[in-house]
Amino acid sequence: MEVYITGVGLTKVGRHFDLGLRELAARAALEALDSARVDKVDAVIVSSTLSYREAGQFDLAGHLAGALGLKGAQTFAVEAGDASGLAAVEAACSLIRAGSAGRVLVVGVDKLTDYVSSRVYRDLQRLYEAEVQALYDIGHAGVAGLLARLYMERFGVSRDTLSYWPAMDHSHAKHNPYAMLPFAIDPAAVPKALKVAEPLTLLDSFPLGDGAAALVLESEPHGDARAKVVLATSAAGYPSFTMNEDPLAPESVGEVAARLREVTGIAPVDVDVIELGDTFTSIGLILAESLGLSEPGRAAVDAMEGRFTLGGDGPVVNPSGGLKARGHPVGATGVYMVGELALQVSGEYPGLKVDGARRGLAVIASGDGSSAHLVLVEGVA
Amino acid sequence: MSMDLSVPETWRVKGALYRLEAARCKACGRIHYPPMPACPYCGSRDLERVTLPSEGVLESYTVVYAVPEGSRHKAPVLLGLVRLGRVRVVAEITDADPSELRTGMEVEAVLRRIRSDREAGIIRYGVMFRPKLKGGSRGG
Ligand SMILES: [Zn+2]
Repeated sequence: MEVYITGVGLTKVGRHFDLGLRELAARAALEALDSARVDKVDAVIVSSTLSYREAGQFDLAGHLAGALGLKGAQTFAVEAGDASGLAAVEAACSLIRAGSAGRVLVVGVDKLTDYVSSRVYRDLQRLYEAEVQALYDIGHAGVAGLLARLYMERFGVSRDTLSYWPAMDHSHAKHNPYAMLPFAIDPAAVPKALKVAEPLTLLDSFPLGDGAAALVLESEPHGDARAKVVLATSAAGYPSFTMNEDPLAPESVGEVAARLREVTGIAPVDVDVIELGDTFTSIGLILAESLGLSEPGRAAVDAMEGRFTLGGDGPVVNPSGGLKARGHPVGATGVYMVGELALQVSGEYPGLKVDGARRGLAVIASGDGSSAHLVLVEGVA
Repeated sequence: MSMDLSVPETWRVKGALYRLEAARCKACGRIHYPPMPACPYCGSRDLERVTLPSEGVLESYTVVYAVPEGSRHKAPVLLGLVRLGRVRVVAEITDADPSELRTGMEVEAVLRRIRSDREAGIIRYGVMFRPKLKGGSRGG
């Protein structure tokens, strides 16, 4: 059975002091329902990672269904760390392909600005293995910092070259009305910014922001479909970045890329547009190289040379601005990505538009790299 | 002040945190840390407990300035990716100035206070690594 994306709702990532978790989620959900021109769904899947610690709401999907007047819907919550949003899309596709639901509302939401950042760092630290490793004060950026130094020393890549990755994200984000940081940055400013986990600075890391995004997925296109989901898959249970034989080439990401080739016959480099879960510069480079978009050690250089931007010879990477500049409201991010890609392949994207884009790919690895999630969408026109 | 340390959790993890207890897979021979019920490399459950060597090599390091709540007074926190024989461990580095850290330098394990929660009356200790002095250990 096909899965069509008929509705997309995106809120601007930022500091929504005036909106509670449920109100923010409802804003995106109602926009998605309206854009699909429907007011009933069979199931609601909510994707949220930090909300139970930050907002203290259990059964968020049930409460949200009530707030939206979606009486009788099945409700589920999906949590898969940084990749929750893609996992929720995968779960929705499974329900539809199994014939268990004809129309599913997927809502991703998280609020990271209601508390001081040090508290949020403590919670984000639990994205890593929390029983032993995250008992140290590794913060949210510690492992990314370790990987960045390893990357620079192995490939002889300078700190200044790394900076072209976040600069690329920012140059794309300035066109995105939903981006938290819609402005370009000078790569030379990156190493001089506030240090987060050396050699990484604040300009290598995602901003703490609130956001909600929603999708309506259906088995029937009913004339309004923007895209279809060709593949939504994930692979867990691999060694983490630091346990992996090669910390810079996570097996989990290699596995989802292999599945993409098996199922569709195409490689990541063959798609038109890609949204990557680049929580930090080092993670962005590792993802790009593990997916085969760049040779090992080359992703930052390729970004510097414009390979991943409009007019470059690779797929356009992170036209949204990526996690660095669109933002990373953790549980919502994957839903943003799939919504953005659906709008790209239907020609409706309001930001940096990849003209004629037919296929869009979203990939996120979990915080410690032990699992990876991938969604491929295709235009239906 | 953190108020999020738990007594049972502190007790449960002491093997890994105090003694560097790891697990060796009898099927593929690989060692992982912290020990899990199945081997993350091959999936086998045929495992035995082993203790990791207490001396190793710093493969990477970082200086964490974005320090979580409850530990802000420790900022910046030094964090290392330490190779102990065939295993890599992520742990804090102690007794060192950031400027003296180099990849490839020899380090040794010492027991240190990781965090304390005065409200709950818990102090959590764990293994940290410090630069090994040339010509021998400084002692534990
Ligand atoms: Zn094994």
